[in-house]
Amino acid sequence: MKCPKCQRPVDHEAESCYSCGYSEVEAAAICGGNVVLLNRIHDAAHCLRKQERDDLALTLDQLELKFPQMLFCVYLGTLPPHLSISELGFWLLNHGQVKGAEYARPNENAILVLMDMNTKQIGISLGYFAESLITEEDAYRALMMARPNLVNSEYGEGLERVFLRLGKTLDRKGRQLRKLTREQFHAGLSGNNGPVLDLPHPFAPPLTGERATMEESLKSA
Amino acid sequence: MRSLAAIFVLVTMLPLPLRAAKVELPTWEEAAESESYYLGGGLWPKALIPDEAAAARDPGAANDVASADPAPGVAPDGTILPTAPGAITPDPEAPGAPRFYGPQGPADGTAAPPGTRPAVIENPDGTFILPQEIVEEEAYEPLPPIEGELSDLYFAHAPVDFLIDPQRLLTEQKSNDIKRFLEFHSDESDFRIFVMALGETQKIPDDIDIEALHKKWFSDSPTVLMLYYREQPQLTQLVFNESVHGSLPKSVFDRILQNTLREGGVTELAPDQVEKMAIELSIQLYWLSKLMEYENKEEQARAAKSGIHEMIASPDAPELLREYAPGIFIEDTSKILSLVFTLVIVVGGLALMGLIGWGILAWRGRENVSGQPLLFPEFQISPRLGGEFSGGGFVGMSFELSEGT
Ligand SMILES: [Zn+2]
Repeated sequence: MKCPKCQRPVDHEAESCYSCGYSEVEAAAICGGNVVLLNRIHDAAHCLRKQERDDLALTLDQLELKFPQMLFCVYLGTLPPHLSISELGFWLLNHGQVKGAEYARPNENAILVLMDMNTKQIGISLGYFAESLITEEDAYRALMMARPNLVNSEYGEGLERVFLRLGKTLDRKGRQLRKLTREQFHAGLSGNNGPVLDLPHPFAPPLTGERATMEESLKSA
Repeated sequence: MRSLAAIFVLVTMLPLPLRAAKVELPTWEEAAESESYYLGGGLWPKALIPDEAAAARDPGAANDVASADPAPGVAPDGTILPTAPGAITPDPEAPGAPRFYGPQGPADGTAAPPGTRPAVIENPDGTFILPQEIVEEEAYEPLPPIEGELSDLYFAHAPVDFLIDPQRLLTEQKSNDIKRFLEFHSDESDFRIFVMALGETQKIPDDIDIEALHKKWFSDSPTVLMLYYREQPQLTQLVFNESVHGSLPKSVFDRILQNTLREGGVTELAPDQVEKMAIELSIQLYWLSKLMEYENKEEQARAAKSGIHEMIASPDAPELLREYAPGIFIEDTSKILSLVFTLVIVVGGLALMGLIGWGILAWRGRENVSGQPLLFPEFQISPRLGGEFSGGGFVGMSFELSEGT
């Protein structure tokens, strides 16, 4: 994990960046402490044509169907020089409210793709839950997939590629997790010391004590 | 087929007013209504039953005939009992009574004295015994002897066509087929075949020496003249060039003739006989030409003992015969090999195309969202940097052309 401002590593559960002291408080100070309402495809830079927008919306629809918990959204803007897209992503995920996603898809399940048309930067900001599913490497690969399109100013198609690639990543992760939970379930059944899971559903939330192992296995995966 | 023809004849014989009244095709009745059937077996449509037809014509008089007492000689189940001739055929002089088989009498329905047409008898198994006179042998017109002008047509000049049939003894269609076959054959074979069609009763005139004629006409190239007598394949003669005849034992030619005659014997009609015999002769001549290629007499004799289907085929086996004698192609390894090779190439190409197609689909599938909805197990993650929903997890990239990343 890195600091959205200085990009130096940050401990998990750190209250603020050890290097630069950045935290949500500073973000709120810069961008505001209020809640903002976002469109799922928020094109503040007006760089998507109608057709591109429709196609992208279709792709997001499909992804939402496939991943009912996840929130997929886009912010395209021209950012002021002192604001990086990583900071904006951090702030938007904590202060933004995507229309239509209110309860079913909380922001911690969000995958927000941001683009700054000024600096020609693209990035992916992740909520806590999404972060546990998508590694930095996965996210970077997804961006790289879209680079040729973006270089050619085919923003709509580029964004679609990013999301589709992330969809594949989620799909893979989902299958891994399903297997993992099943194994854990069986391990729990066979081991006499562990508590027997009485939830037959493979997606049953792991017990609190097992959360750490879950996270460990996710990271190693 | 025969019963269909009978129906057709019957329908055409129905009096015109009745036909005009019933334009639609006859519908076959349910078996349950078979009590009104006279012929039994539920085979005939009602409208074609003689008394029904009469009823249709004269509705007033119909009832007592059609529905009441069954016709004489008919069993209660509707089966016709074998009876004396004329017993079950309706009176031909009755108005509107249609006739079943046999030659049609005068159109006014007056002639044909009773008893001249024998009855149609139905067997218990539903088949019919037809009166003998119906299945009439088609007799040919007697043919004139071959002499004078007709003789000239046959023998005056060397033939142009491979089929010599000045009397048109074979049907036109088959004649064309045979001619075409013989033309193809002559393109591919060392031997040409000429077929001369003669009448079954005709004879080659005494003043014609067919072997001398053969020499006169065909001495320049090996040719077989086949003399065919209509529907008498056993009389067929084959005339070879003297040089050919002299170079091989007589048994070879006997065998060729034998095989050819046998083919002619398997069918009855003259055009079919000629066609089959020509094809067999063509096959035999291929075998003959192979035999002639042996220089050593012993080898030749040994080869002569083997049949056409045992002989080693060669790449020059006439394509024409592939359909009729596939055996002479079977051992043609070079062709087989090239065929196998082509097949492998084609199959391989198809497989490759399929693989590429599958690859493309798979590649495109990578970017497709499909399948059942996928749910992740939920778990709590402790927040960082004070963010409620996100701790600032972020991955970025520049898409400026000048920058590497
Ligand atoms: Zn920092």
